[in-house]
Amino acid sequence: MTGEIVELYSDGEMSGMKKKIRVWTVALCLLGAAALGACIAMAAMTGTGNAERMELYAVATATVSGWIVLYCAYFVVGTCRRELLHAAMLRAEERTRVEGIVTVTKAKLAIRKSITARRVEVRSPEGLTRMLVTENRAAKLMNAGAVAVYSAHGYVAAYEVRS
Amino acid sequence: MRFFKNVFSKLHVFVLWALMSVIFWGWIFTFVTDTTPDKKISVYFYVPEIRDTELAVELEKDMPPGLKMIKVHNFQYVMFNMESVENGDVFVLPESQIEEYRELLTPGDAGTLIYDAETRTGGADSYAGYEDEDYYLFIGANSVHRADGAAEKIAGDILKAD
Repeated sequence: MTGEIVELYSDGEMSGMKKKIRVWTVALCLLGAAALGACIAMAAMTGTGNAERMELYAVATATVSGWIVLYCAYFVVGTCRRELLHAAMLRAEERTRVEGIVTVTKAKLAIRKSITARRVEVRSPEGLTRMLVTENRAAKLMNAGAVAVYSAHGYVAAYEVRS
Repeated sequence: MRFFKNVFSKLHVFVLWALMSVIFWGWIFTFVTDTTPDKKISVYFYVPEIRDTELAVELEKDMPPGLKMIKVHNFQYVMFNMESVENGDVFVLPESQIEEYRELLTPGDAGTLIYDAETRTGGADSYAGYEDEDYYLFIGANSVHRADGAAEKIAGDILKAD
């Protein structure tokens, strides 16, 4: 029984992730540069009467903007980059086809720091095969009515639906 | 919830960044708010309390040419940094402390009375919290502004400040 193979990470999604990383990186660089410029402007505007206030403003600006940049770098750009690497690995590896009843469980676990995954069970006459699917692709797999999955490194890379 | 979980997972990085910001910009501002001795007048008041920033701003309104800033310090707070005190331009000392710090003052200078304890009036008395004794104003022995007259000009402005 063969059907249509659907990639969990299509070319479009891969380039979408790359674009997201680029846009966020540029935005964070702009924010950092703007904050640095603001701090330099504050230093340049400092006189005897306002020195303490200006120093406080500069420290607050540098601290808060740095926190925003760090947070987004770790948890937006970083997560997206790890996901992209993960997807690239799945696409590059040799895959194993497992046919059967595909069930995505509710159990979650963390893989590659901020990426979470869900367990997938495939019941076939040969027995039960367990693998993982990344959290943000779980819904796609769950609602697809897959009759078989293609796994690489223990992760679902693609699935098959009846055509 | 996820936001707070994320923040707590990297809390050490956020705290470190805040500390680095304070140290780095504090260091930058020490340069911004200071200059070489030839471009500033340093005034030292031996008083329990002084509104140093307000007095400096007042004195900067009519600065001699070539100067960038006036720095007003509480003498008692900066005594641990005697090197900068030794190069001070103007000193305001209570009568009881004059002999102790005589080597900082222009030799032979008897000082100018800036605060009269009897009448409780004096120069810059709204800025400086004088104690119950006479205070005298001196030009520093090592002042680089004795020759150009800038130290005397500022000393005169302090006497007139109210």
